[in-house]
Amino acid sequence: MLTWFTAAVLALFAAQQVTVWDGVFTREQAERGDKLYADRCARCHGDTLQGVEAAPALVGSTFYNNWEGETLDALFERMRTSMPQDRPGSLTRAENADILAYMLSTAAYPAGKMTLDAQGGALTRVKILMYRPTPK
Amino acid sequence: MNNWKRRGCLAAIVVALLTAGPRGQTGAPRGEWPTYGGDLGHTRYAALDQISAANFNDLEVAWRFKTDNLGPRPEFNLQSTPLMVRGRLYSTGGTRRAVVALDAGTGELLWVHSEDEGARGAASPRQLSGRGLAYWSDGKDERILYVTPGYRLIALDARTGNPMPGFGRGGAVDLKADLDPAIDLTNAPIGLHATPIVAGNVVIVGAAFETGANPKSRRNIKGAVRGFDVRTGKRLWMFKTIPEPGEVGHETWENDSWAYTGNTGVWAQISVDEELGMAYLPVELPTHDYYGGARPGNGLFGESLVAIDYRTGERKWHYQLVHHGLWDMDIPCAPILVDIRVNGRTVKAVAQPSKQAFLYVFDRVTGQPIWPIEERPVPQGDTPGEKYSPTQPFPTRPRAYDRQGLTIDDLIDFTPQLRAEAVKAVAQYRIGPLFTPPAVSRAEGPIATLAMATQAPATNWPGGAYDPETHILYVYSQSAVATLGLVPPAEGTADGVRYHQGTVLTGARRTGGSGSATAQAGGAATAPTVQGLPLIKPPYGRINAINLDSGDILWQVPHGETPEAIRNHPALKGLNVPRTGRPGQVGTLVTRTLVIAGEPGFGPTPSGQRGSMLRAYDKRTGADAGAVYMPAPQTGSPMTYMLNGRQYLVVAISGGSYSGELVAFRLPQ
Repeated sequence: MLTWFTAAVLALFAAQQVTVWDGVFTREQAERGDKLYADRCARCHGDTLQGVEAAPALVGSTFYNNWEGETLDALFERMRTSMPQDRPGSLTRAENADILAYMLSTAAYPAGKMTLDAQGGALTRVKILMYRPTPK
Repeated sequence: MNNWKRRGCLAAIVVALLTAGPRGQTGAPRGEWPTYGGDLGHTRYAALDQISAANFNDLEVAWRFKTDNLGPRPEFNLQSTPLMVRGRLYSTGGTRRAVVALDAGTGELLWVHSEDEGARGAASPRQLSGRGLAYWSDGKDERILYVTPGYRLIALDARTGNPMPGFGRGGAVDLKADLDPAIDLTNAPIGLHATPIVAGNVVIVGAAFETGANPKSRRNIKGAVRGFDVRTGKRLWMFKTIPEPGEVGHETWENDSWAYTGNTGVWAQISVDEELGMAYLPVELPTHDYYGGARPGNGLFGESLVAIDYRTGERKWHYQLVHHGLWDMDIPCAPILVDIRVNGRTVKAVAQPSKQAFLYVFDRVTGQPIWPIEERPVPQGDTPGEKYSPTQPFPTRPRAYDRQGLTIDDLIDFTPQLRAEAVKAVAQYRIGPLFTPPAVSRAEGPIATLAMATQAPATNWPGGAYDPETHILYVYSQSAVATLGLVPPAEGTADGVRYHQGTVLTGARRTGGSGSATAQAGGAATAPTVQGLPLIKPPYGRINAINLDSGDILWQVPHGETPEAIRNHPALKGLNVPRTGRPGQVGTLVTRTLVIAGEPGFGPTPSGQRGSMLRAYDKRTGADAGAVYMPAPQTGSPMTYMLNGRQYLVVAISGGSYSGELVAFRLPQ
């Protein structure tokens, strides 16, 4: 069930595009994602998300080479359909969302009050940007 | 000798040169592209010139082939270089590494072959579509050979895609089956992304393993290179890359470490000189990429270029590029066979690009360096249990084609403020010249060693290209900083391994230390950045042209448009930032007039559309010679061919949310 707060933020999202700088996940969610990452992702992408040989880095220039300017939804869908490579599709939407929150926290994006929620198309409005956009 | 006789002799010599020239370094023949590297010497050269600087921008998409439905789900990292023979284009693709044959003029699917390997495929350390395949024909029979994710060698009829019944068992050879010591056929983690190579009637296959940064044990499967009969699949020979008692190089393994140490595989492309009867093997380092305490000694044939007789597997010569490696340098790409003119004589040579930005050049008959390679003292570390090599080999020519190690002078210098922040950022790290060893990570410093041209390689698996007409070698390289730190392994993750790669900032969370990575987000996971900008000054990626007759670097140009994130960075406002190039892994193609390579990663495009540019450079000068839009970056290396009077360029693209696709370009009619 959506909390009133999430509903309000979703309504805000509907009106305008937000970015990964706008506090789109919670600290608790990222902590859950940390454990999931260690169990399901680190084997290929490394403990530090640096990537190893066949698996690309999930931080730094390699990550932005692939994802700068994309929506979080595109990244979420990529995870949902192709990861983890040894058992694709074996994580729930909520688990994938937690892992995504962990990745964002590792890249030093700020946590906020809203839980990153892959339902309802909300992520299609969240843009991945390396730098905080300058206020207009 | 009279004039006529002299002319006759001359004509005979010319004919002999034209027809009997050494196969392997002459470029792709007859407008086709019959092997991964264009020819067996991996020149990635085609003597075609229909596509030129005058018309490169006019290129149009001739056809596309999406690989999504070749497997149970889309794949996002298509690294193939397709082959083109007799009007058919062959490629691997999809998550199960299916093989397809396409009409090279239209992209129409002619046949597809796929193997569902179940648990065996899922256990592979080298999954997905791989780098491609090999073609063989004796004039009647035509075969496609490839290695599956589950490490089986498959032979298909190139005309139908059907497995060849007389090859192995039902068209397949189990590559896990005859290794020494024996391994589990389903779960043993061994595989291969590289393509097989066919020399004469021998198929040569290497091996790849799980990454060596955090090995579970000092004991691992040993790399071996094997030759198989292309008709029957019968194993002809096996070359063990870790020598056994009595064999050359065995003495370089102290404390009997040869017995349990593994890896030392050949996961990169192998090259062949059929005339000399030799295959050239680029060997990776032994078990553990950053800590060698369990394998004291130089450890041959780790990180060595080894020449063998491809008919027998017998070693002819070897040269170790890194002694007792601790930097994950491996040898990551194909040795390139080059016939060059040095001091007035023609030399059959082999040139090896590397992660460490040296191009090593040897006489490929004898293994002697073309220009002296000096053993020089290198920095020694203080990791408990480690036994460092006091010296390492340094080529005196060509000079390194990209930056190595890390010094203050390498740091970002767009403004004095940024430089000052960078100096502060590296203060807690160990920096130094090439071969500065990894550091045991300590909170009080060093947190790790920071270095370029190591694990974040200058050149990786795509390797280089070579123009046999001008004797110029082209190779892409990146400048990127790796964090080489060591921490004790997390409990229960390693049997007798003293260190794993990591730092106190990130490793602590797995060893019950204070706080989680979440709490320490930013800067911990990778090399430090400066306000989000790279720690080092540009260029971040470049293409290098090296004259192999003289050993001089002819030109270097940044490859890749400046990323928006740098161009629009608030700290660089008002500065005119020239093209920075971009980091990545990029394969090059050489034609009569052009060097062609796609940009790494998504980047700014002239139209503003999300995508990446396929770029051409004047091969003599490095000047821009055109660019064409692609919806995703190049992830395989470009190849070219002629069909019905028209030149085609084909590139494998993918990345981010864009799944694997082959794109063919040609000029409008």
